[in-house]
Amino acid sequence: MEQQVFLERAIEQYGKATYNFAYRLTGNEADASDLTQEAFIRVFRAWRSFKPGTSFRSWIYRIVTNLYRDELRRRKGRYHEEIPDDHGSQPGAARPLAVEPIEEYIEGHLSEPVSKALADLTAEQRQIVLLADIEGCTYHEIGDIVGCAVGTVRSRLHRARERLRGLVTRYMKSSS
Amino acid sequence: MNETHPNIDQIVDHLHGELPAADEAAMHAHLAGCPKCQERRNEEAAITQTLRAHALATQLELPPALVARIRMEIAEAVQPSWRQRLRLFFRPIVLLPVAAAAALVIYLRFSPGHSAVTPTPIDAAYYVNEHAALAAKAPFADNVPPATLTLDDEAR
Repeated sequence: MEQQVFLERAIEQYGKATYNFAYRLTGNEADASDLTQEAFIRVFRAWRSFKPGTSFRSWIYRIVTNLYRDELRRRKGRYHEEIPDDHGSQPGAARPLAVEPIEEYIEGHLSEPVSKALADLTAEQRQIVLLADIEGCTYHEIGDIVGCAVGTVRSRLHRARERLRGLVTRYMKSSS
Repeated sequence: MNETHPNIDQIVDHLHGELPAADEAAMHAHLAGCPKCQERRNEEAAITQTLRAHALATQLELPPALVARIRMEIAEAVQPSWRQRLRLFFRPIVLLPVAAAAALVIYLRFSPGHSAVTPTPIDAAYYVNEHAALAAKAPFADNVPPATLTLDDEAR
């Protein structure tokens, strides 16, 4: 069955990348598993809507991103939260769902300041940084995945990097 | 681009390979002669490198249990649609015997030797009475049906 073969190939070639992308977005393996599972079920159902010759990675990342966004909204997460200043989190302030597990995970890591700074970004900022810096996507690809114009990607990335820079500097000072 | 020093956003775009070709060339030329901007560029590049190294170090394998779960979910979720069911019914292996059975029924129904038409019931009493009446009026007429012998006649 052609549809089945398509799914198997998708899992084989992009399963790991998708799972890791979902893991970095959510910060925990349980949520990453759920996101990955749902994403591949959608791939299976909508396999005919994939256009050969286009980027499958962009397609599945877009599915994961939309699912994650829906999930955050469903859980009344703070996907569209205001960008906080660089003076640390306010006590009691709502934070993205994924922050806590990532903070726990990176404890004791060599690149602690950068990792902690990444975890302190908003979900939207972290998503842009993940796609641009870790996944190596172009601004155009990120626009496709996130669903916004290249100019918006550019400005979001600039703001995210600015905040990341500030946080890294702060964590480096506090650790030395 | 700023003629003196590129701003930090331009450096970020440069690191991501997103500067227009002319700006990229200008950036290269500037960086070659400006240690201060080189340092800023390297700081930004270090953040990206650290992020990538961290991602690589914390990369997870795709759990086989998750793959199994995906396959199971799909098997359960995807029920055949009415079209698929119809297509399944019209497979040759099912359709041929059904067509043969239908043809047999039609043959048996309409062939002369096997007519299933119910015969019109004959009102025997009417026939006997009519015959008797005709015979009484004109026993030798041509249109009178031939008399048939009964057991009583034979006895006589």
